[in-house]
Amino acid sequence: MRRGNSSSAACYHPYLNAVLPRSETYRSRPSPFFLILFFLCFVFSPCAFPADSNSLDDSVRQLADRIAAIPNLHGPLRLEFHADANLAAGSTLQDTLRQELEKRRLSITDEPSALLLKIGVAETPTQVVLTASTRIGDRDDVRIVTMARAALSAPTLAVAPVRIARQLIYESSDRILDASALGNAAEGGLTVLLDRNADLFALRLDSAGIVKQTVSLAAANLRATRDPRGELTDRGATAEVVLPGKICEFTWAAGEEPKCRAKKPEARTPTVLTSPCDASNWKLEAKGDDWSSPDLLQIAPDSATRAGSTALFNEFPGPVLSINGELDPGSALIVARNLRTGNYEVYKITLLCGN
Amino acid sequence: MRFTKSLCSAAISAALLFFLASTPASAAKRPRYGGTLRVELLTSTFSLDPREWKSSSLSAREDEKLASLVYDRLVTLDDYGRFQPALAIEWSHDAAAKNWQFKLRPNVKFSDGTPLTPADVVTALQSVLPTHLQLTAAENSLSIRSPHPIPDLLEQLASGPHFIFRALPDDTLLGTGPFYVAEIDAAAPYEANPLATKPARLKFRANEQSWAGRPFLDAIEVTLGEPPLRQLFDLQVGKADVVEVAPDLVRKARQDNLRVWSSAPNTLLALRFDDSQPASADDHLREALALSLDRDTMANVLLQKQAEPSAALLPNWLSGYAFLFESPMNLERAREIRSSLPANEAGGTEPLRLHVDAAGDLMKLLAERVAVNARQANLSVQLALHTASATGAAASVPSTNPPMGLHLFTWHYDSLSPRAELDALLKQLHLVPAPENSQPLIDPEQRFAEERRLLEERRVIPLVLLPEYVGIATPVRNWMPARWGEWRLADVWLEKGETAPSAPAGGASPDNSATPHGRGAHP
Repeated sequence: MRRGNSSSAACYHPYLNAVLPRSETYRSRPSPFFLILFFLCFVFSPCAFPADSNSLDDSVRQLADRIAAIPNLHGPLRLEFHADANLAAGSTLQDTLRQELEKRRLSITDEPSALLLKIGVAETPTQVVLTASTRIGDRDDVRIVTMARAALSAPTLAVAPVRIARQLIYESSDRILDASALGNAAEGGLTVLLDRNADLFALRLDSAGIVKQTVSLAAANLRATRDPRGELTDRGATAEVVLPGKICEFTWAAGEEPKCRAKKPEARTPTVLTSPCDASNWKLEAKGDDWSSPDLLQIAPDSATRAGSTALFNEFPGPVLSINGELDPGSALIVARNLRTGNYEVYKITLLCGN
Repeated sequence: MRFTKSLCSAAISAALLFFLASTPASAAKRPRYGGTLRVELLTSTFSLDPREWKSSSLSAREDEKLASLVYDRLVTLDDYGRFQPALAIEWSHDAAAKNWQFKLRPNVKFSDGTPLTPADVVTALQSVLPTHLQLTAAENSLSIRSPHPIPDLLEQLASGPHFIFRALPDDTLLGTGPFYVAEIDAAAPYEANPLATKPARLKFRANEQSWAGRPFLDAIEVTLGEPPLRQLFDLQVGKADVVEVAPDLVRKARQDNLRVWSSAPNTLLALRFDDSQPASADDHLREALALSLDRDTMANVLLQKQAEPSAALLPNWLSGYAFLFESPMNLERAREIRSSLPANEAGGTEPLRLHVDAAGDLMKLLAERVAVNARQANLSVQLALHTASATGAAASVPSTNPPMGLHLFTWHYDSLSPRAELDALLKQLHLVPAPENSQPLIDPEQRFAEERRLLEERRVIPLVLLPEYVGIATPVRNWMPARWGEWRLADVWLEKGETAPSAPAGGASPDNSATPHGRGAHP
């Protein structure tokens, strides 16, 4: 039985709580004191107080268990759902609960005369609260199961229309500033530049999104800012990061500190994709002027090569923060913030031919 | 010193501007540094000292907004249920959640340039956390020990008065936050028109040393004590960028195409029985009154659909189970119960006296509706309106007045922990917890059972829940407040060229006497 109000993990460490898989090569490490405490938390804890579930499906199963254990409860039951708007869309949740209850020999019906079982799904600031209430005799029996809201996974995002293929390839709760395709195309990976707790890191990921290497950019010695910026270019064995007033270069293999020097920043050239159909050029541009609202990516024909064509638009779930199409003329990497989940996401946009 | 500071800030701004200009135009527009955000608030008094705040009052709500500009917390909560590091960068607790450890962020400085120490954190938190918690400072960390499990400690630390500050010998408080208090102008008569009062003003300036980076805005100017209509007018004519919109003006603001943001309903309006009038002790009388109340009319007609009826003490967005509480109007049953009561109980020469604990037309309207509803159930309710100044705090009733059996009060939810909020309600309203619930109500089922018990006692009768409404000017960007009402002005920026001209310095103004009484946090 797992229930109660424990929205937080036993330990929080910025490295341990990020969505990203961990790398073995962090430059800075947590203090031994906290590592020991972390170890003790997990090894010697028979969970003295109730803990949250790990996923919504787990929580639904637990709720079904707890409903089935209500004394004198017999089916058939009539379900009535009360869900927050953003959770109501997940009709799978209702279906899962029906299936789980039926597995526990509690049949479900729409008959108005059947015993009413009210089910609530609500998001509080830190939790998702699942509630079941039914009247047995003259008393309401209530069962509550909670899970941490932070454990809710982002729903799969719809893929964009046919002319533009859009694929979510990576996401992180840390702020991603830029993404670059790996110079070695055969490897099929990705490099990202991110800000984690006011420190910059460059991450090298394999094609499955697993972090293979992390390089701290502390050597750049940047001043803290609420609008961190940077551009990352991966050249295969080496990578280059352009930061405000500085440029840092490093070798992935060597594991050495990046070498940073002062340099006047140069603007990255606007991304232009080449159509596989007729080699026409299409310019990528995001028009958003506020980070609090979704952004539209405009893919406009370059008048010199394709006059008269109309622009294509692709809506993102939040502001588009970077567009990088330096290495591949047929595709670009877009970094956007998903305002629904709060995560930073990297999309691959590819221009396709025909329908 | 001041000259060096401004020179330094100009250099930073120039560097940022340079990089801004050099960023590719293809991505979304980057934030703009600079400008002054003009904010108007209804409250005429303020306190930047969290130790002075009256828990869950409307004034504390406003104070918290101002304090969040100046101070930081150990942790913050984002919109996605994730705790984010602020002055603490790591934390952990034992299996029972009784012992907590926080590692503090290194190199954090107060706005006067002095470093933040673990001892500062302990002193600040000790003054606002419950006394049974033991706080100890170590070299770069802090430990909190409790005799009971406190799994919701992070929720508490991320909300309410749990700011980190340093009190100077003259009682000035220093913060590490994104802004510092640069000027405080008390309310005073206009020179040109001594009959009119110039409202109090506070000016916050960007803290260049903020550990999270300088805020985008150069300054925030807060005008206190502006009446609701005046605020709306100022927003329309471009004299203000962020204003509070009273619930009865929301519809008008939207009709005028103004940008209006609303929070989750974070203020409860409710009735509380007081034993100083003997009739209040009668369970049946309380039940009859509860059954007579028409919450739908209160929310949909009096409050023009800008509020929601509530039958629970905690809102659904905080507890997750409030939808289970129902309290439908049943006049027939109310009359039936009434007929079984003595005629002089809430009737004849002994009406139930209802005191309105907070100021404002809205409260008066609601109280009148309660009296009308009660009358429909043959209960006599007599109003006694709020007499104190508009502080939002409950006014004490002079001893010469007859005893009050009923109070209409407001309750602002200022904690992100439903457990802490229910405990605070019990404590402040002098409600007695069930004997089996003498330990903290960590389990949501226990909490639900306790709330149900309190509601069945009917010593407190919830009426409606009100959100906060904020009017926002067009140039305001990155307005991304938390749904529970935290404004997050450090991340707001102003679009260039859209700022309206500043308000004239003097002249006629509605009478809005304002008196700052809090201790400011100067650099």
